[in-house]
Amino acid sequence: MYRFKPSISDLVKSSVQSILKNKGRTILTSLGIIIGVTSVILLTSIGNGLTIYVNSQFESLGSNSIFVSPGKIFNDNGGFNSQGGGGRLVSTSFDQKNITSLERGLRGSQIVPISVAQVDIKSPNSTKKGQSVIGSTYRYGLATNNFPSSSNGRWFSQEEESKKSKVIVLGNKIATDLFPSGNALGKKVIVKGKNLKVIGINDKKGGSFGGPDTDSQSFVPIGLAQEFSGSEKIQQILIKTPTKDQVTATKTKTEQILLKTFDKDAFSVFDSSQLLSSINSIIGTLTIALTGIAAISLVVGGIGIMNIMLVTVSERTREIGLRKAVGAYPRAILLQFLFEAVILSSVGGTIGILLGFLGTLAINNFFPAQVTVGSVLLAFGVSSLVGIVFGVTPARKASQLSPIEALRYE
Amino acid sequence: MNPLSSRKSKSPPVLELRHIVKTYTSGNTTFNALDGVSLTICKGEFISITGPSGSGKSTLMHIIGLLDNPTSGEVLLESQNISHLKEHEMARVRNVTLGFVFQQFNLLPKTSSLENVMLPLLYSDIPKSEHKRIATELLTRVGLESKLKNTPAQLSGGQQQRVAIARALVNNPKIILADEPTGNLDSKSGKEIIALLHELNKEGRTIVLVTHDIELAKQAQKIVIIKDGKIA
Repeated sequence: MYRFKPSISDLVKSSVQSILKNKGRTILTSLGIIIGVTSVILLTSIGNGLTIYVNSQFESLGSNSIFVSPGKIFNDNGGFNSQGGGGRLVSTSFDQKNITSLERGLRGSQIVPISVAQVDIKSPNSTKKGQSVIGSTYRYGLATNNFPSSSNGRWFSQEEESKKSKVIVLGNKIATDLFPSGNALGKKVIVKGKNLKVIGINDKKGGSFGGPDTDSQSFVPIGLAQEFSGSEKIQQILIKTPTKDQVTATKTKTEQILLKTFDKDAFSVFDSSQLLSSINSIIGTLTIALTGIAAISLVVGGIGIMNIMLVTVSERTREIGLRKAVGAYPRAILLQFLFEAVILSSVGGTIGILLGFLGTLAINNFFPAQVTVGSVLLAFGVSSLVGIVFGVTPARKASQLSPIEALRYE
Repeated sequence: MNPLSSRKSKSPPVLELRHIVKTYTSGNTTFNALDGVSLTICKGEFISITGPSGSGKSTLMHIIGLLDNPTSGEVLLESQNISHLKEHEMARVRNVTLGFVFQQFNLLPKTSSLENVMLPLLYSDIPKSEHKRIATELLTRVGLESKLKNTPAQLSGGQQQRVAIARALVNNPKIILADEPTGNLDSKSGKEIIALLHELNKEGRTIVLVTHDIELAKQAQKIVIIKDGKIA
């Protein structure tokens, strides 16, 4: 005697029809959900894009890289040390003696010292002030996967390094800045009164977020950079092990060697995966926190839907009475109004997802962002859930109306 | 049994009310809106129920319309006791047994005549492929074949009530219950609607007309006058 009538498709159809009868209200009601879903999608896209970007940057460094920096960068839990601003304020620095002892102690690994000078670079066309010039060895380009492709010149040679030859390899962006009209290769630039020949232009690395902008850096033999800065100090040491497996052992050995000269807290030895996981955990935490804030607007949107559904139920009291009189049982009424709420919220969710996609495309022009499938599914799921949660109360109210009272309602 | 319950009729009873009492409680005072009403509605009858306002006429109509349960007494539909059905079962019985015509028409706004007429079918077992055909036939029957797509706002009062009558017929109900169907109409449209109800009765439909208008009530085969919760 009791069969499930009307069918779900009929219920959805009649819900859609009544929603369409109030288009303006539908859009206003969905606005809260639209805004909520859009911001959730955008923020997770940015977080995701950032993670992908940082990871790719580190991948280009290679997983067999070990970095030695002054100061204590990591705390004991693997996060960044909160004291001393990442160690940059610590006055420790390395010198050639450290390099020599590392080279002796770590046979087979490449030891690449790095000295940075802040200088003005002049070309006939323009002057770029306060540029980072990185002094290093002939191996640096290959070790950091940052070197000119064959048509754009070359990295400096071992001979040029030891002779402190007046040669410079320009980052892609600074090359264009200094020589806007054309090819910088073979031209001269002036640094601290010295004429340097541009022997190479690095390939474009793209992006400037999450670390130093390598496209804006220039590279010279290490002795030359030390002349520019007037100091023999070495700010950072890059160690490349022959294979990935040797990273852990090499790290331990490096620490042992440096501990002969320095305090435990005066320097840090870390590999790219360690740095990467710390950065990723920071990005992850930030993304979750920001997404959580955005999700509050989803709840506000849900309350908006509940409000409008309560109004709808009051407005349509007669209709509910009539439907009951002609045979609608309570559950049919409950489902009809519940579907309306869910359709309202999921339409809002869908529009929000589309806007999130468009916003992500727009942001991509100046920031790496990428929509994740997970965030889309989550946003859609959450917005539908919001519809159910905030739609149940009005729908129950509708289903419990007595047909007599409802028909009498003016 | 009340002498007015038709013993003359040879037709089988469709709906029987036995000793119906409906009590409303407000605070400490109780009030019997219906006080032992018995009534038999036979197949093919045209019954009118009339009485002054406050007489219990509306309450009786709600009991006949299976919209409300009596406090005590029995309601028999085709000899089956349906007094204690659950709400969803009552809805089901209403769907297959009754067709309602209201004073306020109660058509869904912004909805076409066709869809308004099809509404009860949504909750019925009649196959979906038949819905449109049945509704079109009935709208043609009430003379609105040219107004299938019109919404209530585009129809006159009389036309709206015709749509409502078509809707009341759509489930092929055993009883058509018309509650003051002419109350919101001018006298000409009112007469037309009453004439339509009489035509339907001639076609074999059982009709219960609830009205406070004695003249209108007198047009029925059988008049039930209710006063102070009792059949007078």
